[in-house]
Formats: sequence, C-alpha cells, structure tokens
Amino acid sequence: MARGEALLELRSLTITASVADRQLLLLRDVELEVRAGEVVGVVGESGSGKTTLARSVVGLLERNVQVATGRIELVGEVLVGPGTDLTHTARGRSVGMVFQDASRSLNPLMRVRRHLSEVLERHVDGIGRDEVRARSTEVLRRMRIDDPDRVLDSYPHQLSGGLRQRVAIALAVVTNPALVIADECTTALDVTTQAEVVALFRELVDELHIGLLFVTHDLMLASDLCDRIAVMSQGEVVEVGPTDQVLRHPTVDYTRRLLAAVPHWTEGASATHA
Amino acid sequence: MTQLDAKVPTIVATEHVARARRRRRTSVFWLALPLVAIAVLVVVLPMTGLLADPRQTDLDNTLAPPVFLDGGSWDNPLGTDKLGQDVLAQLVVGGRLTLFIGLVGALVAIGPGTLIGVLAGYCRGWVDLVVSRLIDAQLALPFILIALAVISSQGSSLPVLFLVLALTGWAACARVTRSVAMTLRERQFVLGLRAAGASEPRIVLRHVVPNLVGTIVALGTLQIGTAILVESALSFLGLGVVPPDISWGAMLASGQDVLSRAWWVATFPGLAITVVVLLVNLLGDALLTHHDPRKRRR
Repeated sequence: MARGEALLELRSLTITASVADRQLLLLRDVELEVRAGEVVGVVGESGSGKTTLARSVVGLLERNVQVATGRIELVGEVLVGPGTDLTHTARGRSVGMVFQDASRSLNPLMRVRRHLSEVLERHVDGIGRDEVRARSTEVLRRMRIDDPDRVLDSYPHQLSGGLRQRVAIALAVVTNPALVIADECTTALDVTTQAEVVALFRELVDELHIGLLFVTHDLMLASDLCDRIAVMSQGEVVEVGPTDQVLRHPTVDYTRRLLAAVPHWTEGASATHA
Repeated sequence: MTQLDAKVPTIVATEHVARARRRRRTSVFWLALPLVAIAVLVVVLPMTGLLADPRQTDLDNTLAPPVFLDGGSWDNPLGTDKLGQDVLAQLVVGGRLTLFIGLVGALVAIGPGTLIGVLAGYCRGWVDLVVSRLIDAQLALPFILIALAVISSQGSSLPVLFLVLALTGWAACARVTRSVAMTLRERQFVLGLRAAGASEPRIVLRHVVPNLVGTIVALGTLQIGTAILVESALSFLGLGVVPPDISWGAMLASGQDVLSRAWWVATFPGLAITVVVLLVNLLGDALLTHHDPRKRRR
C-alpha cells in the first residue's frame, strides 16, 4: 500500500437511531478520509458520535441504528452505500478493531494462542499449523513482547493490562489489514502504558503503512500520535485538519472550548512529533 | 536485616497459598468420590448375591427392626417393610432407578432448556419474545398440575416421567441460560469477534456456549437434585414409580403409613435422597469453581 493513498472514505455519512417512534440523529453528513500510513484522530466529548463513527465501518451498529444516507468506501470498495452493506466481509480481513478494555475484549476461557489462530484460520485461506504458530510469534514480537511463547500460552487474566492491550492490538493487525480502528483503546491504561501503546501504534503505521483511525477523548494523546485530527460535536465533524493546525489555531469555537477544558494545556507543549 | 525481615511473611504466604491450592484442587474429587461410590454400589451390589431379593415378601417377618435395635438381626440389616421385604436390598435396587432418573431427568431438561435459552438470549428479537412468554407461561403453571395432566392422559411409565421432567425443568434452565447469553452477546470480546469477522454460529458454539459451561454444569447438577426430588414426590403420590418397580420415592410412600411404628422403612430412603442431593449440589458448586480459569490457580 503506497503511502498517501486514500484507504477509508466516509462520504456524507448520516446515521440515525430509531428510539420509540422517533428518529435520533447520531451522525450528520460526516466527511472523513484516512490515508495509508496516516493516523487520523477523532476527538470529542462523550456522546459526540465517535464510537458510532468507528463502529459503522465494521458494521457493529446496534439493531435500531441505520445508515440513512452516504457511503463508506474502503480501499476503493463500497462497504456501505445505498442498498449495500458489505461491512461483514471487510471485518478482520481489511479492517482490524481494537476496543477500549482488553480485559473484556478477549475471551476469558481461551489462551492467547487460540485467539490468534482463530483469526488467522478464518482469514488466511489454507494456512497451516506451522504458519499459524510462526505468525503468532512474529506478531507478538512486533508488539515488542519479549517472551511471546509465555504470552501465547497464557489466559487473558494472567497478563497485565498493558500486555493484554498489546495482545488485542496483535489480534487486530495479525491478518495484515489495511486499516485499524482503535476505539478509546488507551482509556483503561495507566499513563506510562498509554505512552507505550501510542509509540507502538506509530511504529506499526510507519512500518506497515496501515491507516489508523484513532478514536479518543484524550487531546494530549491525540496530539502525540495523530497526523490529522477530526473534532466531533453532536454527531458532526466540526473541524478537521493537520494536528498542529487544529490544536494551535482552532477555527471553531467548540474546539477552543475543548482545548480549554484540558488541564495544563499550554500552547506549544503539544504535537511534538510533527 | 530488612531483607531478612521481608522474607518471613513471603514464605508464610506461599505455604498458605499452596495449602489453599491443594484444597481447591481436591474438592471436586472428594465430592465426586462418594457419588461414584454410591453409583457403583447400587449397580454392583445386587449382582454379588450378598443382598436379599428386594421383592421377596415374608409375611411372618413384617416391619422387622434394623440390626442395631432390639429384635433386629443381620438377616435384614436395615429391617423389613410391611410386606417383609428387605429394606437394604430395596434401598440399593431403588437407588439404581432413582440415580438413573436423576441423571436422565436432568439431561432431558437441560438439553432443550439450554438450546432454547441460548437461542433466545443471543438472537433476541421475536425469537426472544416468543420464548420469554413461553417461559413465563410454563413457570406460571404449578408443576404438579402438568405432572397430573400428562400422567393421567399418558399413564405412568418411565418415558412419561422423563417427559414430565423435561416439561417442568426446561423453563428454569432456559431462563438462566437466556440471561447469561444476553450478557455474553454484549460482552466486548463477542463484539471483537464480530469485528474480526467470525461467523455467528461460530461465535455461539465456540465462544458463547463454552462461557456458559459453568452455568450449565451448575444448572445440571441442581437439576439432578430436582429430578430426584420430583421423582420422589410423584412416586410418593403414586404417580411416578409404582410397584413392583422400586425407587427411593416409592419406598418413602410405602413407609409413610407405618412411620409411627416402623420409622426405618421411610427414613433410610429419605436419608439417601438427602445425602445424594446434597452431594450433587456441592459437586456442582465445586465444578463451577473448577471450570473458571480465573478462579482456578495456575
């Protein structure tokens, strides 16, 4: 995947929920794209539609939630459009997803090895046992896990929070998807582990040229990791642009208020990597 | 010096943990052992010829007391009933049927109950709506009414007894498995599996059901106890196992009218029911702990 090519395109995406005979607008006319080798941050307060946005790409919307208008395209293929919903075919193969809390996103009864082999066997046709083993070890090494064999033979509850989240990320990237979606995946971690996970994501994006849609409410974290940032408020993307520009020279009042709400936010202390 | 001080509690703690670990590992074993022993006993003992014929009546020797009371003899270690039949022999042979009814009775209730419950809890929608109303309807009917209706129309036989156990037992299992399946389907790892492209049947069979095994085992063992109790109650009322077949419940029934004169006829089968049901329930509890890798030690 060449760098800069548009991987994910959301075009005037409107999503509604039917609640007791009324239509609730969850997303309104969202325009967003994620390119290969790029991290796009989606920030906003709770209830602004960040998670709905992330989940719509993998078709994990609740029963009463529908895509009203608009399109979702992934690597040039229309996933969601008028009359089509192919999100299930993209799951795992071209999109990987990392959830908020890895202690809950892994099956407590299965060792890490089986988690990985299950995903691999599902998505890589005719994969042999040796290759599953090799790729499992390799992906954990890529996650900077020093003793992959011990982790592979562990149950989720036997791992630390940071290790668990790295296993969850490994699960999302082991099939080499073009796009990874991380939904608040650092929220349950302590600050040091957060920094590690962020560094890991940066490395994965730079080395594998995947696209990363990074949903977070943590502006500091977003400023560290993201190339571009989309600010969401009440189901709309109110501002989108390069991280520096959005955070230093916000054009929208909402972004300014969001920035003001961050404790100890000082101009210039942010976006050091860019 | 500080290092030395710090080491002492560590060693104590390790020993304590090791002891706790040993205890936990063996609790399933120590509960299962007497149950298996009882099961083997009731199967093997009648074959050895050591027991009297449980159906041999002896009208000269009715209501003979057990060996440890005045007038008792080793010929009838637990005494005889009002027909002069040996209580010990009846207890052993009746145990066979009672345990068999308990096991099969639990299976016929748990199987369909779990299937229906998981389907309803995982699929939701109209399936859930229909199933929930059926469960409500089932639980609203007293079990004795269902039992009476089925038995009076079909007659009293073993298959009919199982039908009654299935009809009365499925709803409770379905209700519990439904609610667990409902929480499981909202768990993040199920969402993650869906995001990773796993198919729905695979999620249900390989991830939801294994996470339900603890619940199913607990329900199953409880249901064994319930089935034994239901059998006893029905037999007591003359609706379940009827002579010449022997079960603990049937013995209980035949002993009730002589309870004031010969307590042993009803007490020994009653004790047997109590002990087995208690053991089965404790075993279910231990298995539940054993199954969960979070509760199990490495």
